[in-house]
Amino acid sequence: MASASASAQLERAYKRMLIPTFLAVGIFAIVPLVGMIGLSFTDYHLIRGFRGEVGFQNFVRLWTDGRFMESIYVMCALSFIGVAVQIVMGTLVAVGLEKIVPRWRLARGFFVIPFAVPAIVTALVWLSLFTPTLSPINAFFAIFGIQIPAILTTQTGAIAAIVIADTWTTYPFVMLLILAALQGISTDLDEAAAMDGATRIRAFFYITLPLLVPALTMVALFRFIETLKHFPLIFVLTNGGPGRSTQATNYYAYVQTFQSSNVGYGSAIAMFLFFFAGVISLYIAKRNARLADA
Amino acid sequence: MRDDSFSFKLKRGFGILMMLAFAVFAVFPILWVLILSFRPATQLFVPIWETPFELTLENYSAIIGTNFPFALLNSAITAGASTLLALLLGIPAAFALSKSRLSGKFLASWLLLLLRMAPPVGFVIPLFLIYINSGLIDTYAGLIFAYMSLTLPLVVWSMWTTFNQIPNEVIEAALMDGASIWKTLVKVMIPIARPGIVAAAILSFLLAWNDFFFALIITRSETVTAPVAVMNFVSYASVDWGAIAVASIVLTLPVVPVIILANKYIVQSLGGAVKG
Repeated sequence: MASASASAQLERAYKRMLIPTFLAVGIFAIVPLVGMIGLSFTDYHLIRGFRGEVGFQNFVRLWTDGRFMESIYVMCALSFIGVAVQIVMGTLVAVGLEKIVPRWRLARGFFVIPFAVPAIVTALVWLSLFTPTLSPINAFFAIFGIQIPAILTTQTGAIAAIVIADTWTTYPFVMLLILAALQGISTDLDEAAAMDGATRIRAFFYITLPLLVPALTMVALFRFIETLKHFPLIFVLTNGGPGRSTQATNYYAYVQTFQSSNVGYGSAIAMFLFFFAGVISLYIAKRNARLADA
Repeated sequence: MRDDSFSFKLKRGFGILMMLAFAVFAVFPILWVLILSFRPATQLFVPIWETPFELTLENYSAIIGTNFPFALLNSAITAGASTLLALLLGIPAAFALSKSRLSGKFLASWLLLLLRMAPPVGFVIPLFLIYINSGLIDTYAGLIFAYMSLTLPLVVWSMWTTFNQIPNEVIEAALMDGASIWKTLVKVMIPIARPGIVAAAILSFLLAWNDFFFALIITRSETVTAPVAVMNFVSYASVDWGAIAVASIVLTLPVVPVIILANKYIVQSLGGAVKG
């Protein structure tokens, strides 16, 4: 039995183990975080510097800024459509690998490859596929006399293009986690359902899918927060265009800060995004704490 | 259970077709860049099936003369160093968070998640201003510190779940034998947690290696990383597709075998946050 003083000593040792990380997180993460909050209440400009305190003016300006409102619309389109497509596709592939082609063990690795591809490469590869003069897809359909329109020249097309490229590189994330969740579900249930005469498809919708809901929720939240941060895809594929039509909020913050030099206002936009990250991470942390207690 | 009915075979055939389509979707873009990287400049805009044997290595030799190899080295140095430092600091911290009876663990878990999820555009603005004023802009140290704001929360978070899965009795037994807590960590816990450490290291390295945004803002010419250097091949007037294809292949090559071999461990590491 460890004595009381030994256990107090142990706790002190644990605390010492935390100190380096505590300091590092403080310096590398909390300082910039506090800096962002501070800057969002100023009118700091990269060239002109400070001109005076502005208090909440940046945040008031957000609600009257048409470009900001449009950026939210673009962000929502990219996030909701993107996450929905990725969840459906990731789940389909996971279920397919598990139930339709369980013998493709070795091929599973192939489905994961796009997950490792750097974002900038994903963007450039898809830019080449979306460039009509270069794309083998356009060349292939041209054989049959079909002209594929340039997808990046309209807002709808450009949003679709970003979603396609994003889905390509992130559905393996959904797939891997859903595969892991599927393997935790007993196959007895499927067999029992089959005994009762349920078809496989019905068994999937009525038995497997409901059991996957918790995992799907978490994966969707993780993907959602990532899609709010789209940068390389927009930077390379559309540069926010055509016009300003694909400037999602995160990209708009970048444009305001580093192209228009409005650091204060850019920080206020970043704060708006940060708020989402705060709420979603709080939800996940609470959920994990509840699971750990259970 | 066997089912030989026609309708079952039809549905199964449809399912296999669907899976093949997904496989093509996954692999086709990579094969396409691979082909593109071997195409001579004169054949870039000619469909591959018209001149399938017009292949060359000149794109590969041309890229050696650019700053891209140097940028690759920068990427390797900064991603490697920030991963190593994150493991060094993060593993003891995760161990302590997992096994101590400290209060405030919930707050720590929220903060770690928040840092993983926070939009980098918010971070990078003050970082940029600090770096400009302190001379850290365009230095290895500056970039490594910036990457640690990504890698450290990831390592601590995923190792925390890994250590949670190791029963407390293991530590108690080691302490009973007279080992110090540090010795217990190094000699007992780390060997048991090795798969988790490998996964955390891979994910952390990929995070830094794949980064575009931080490097775009806080590097210039001295420490430019490969993802930013690729953009030199894209200019307003023309796009050097041959060079882009080669750079894409080279940037992706080191990570593909790793992800194929380690995807099982990575699932456990990612899954720590998603389980339930």
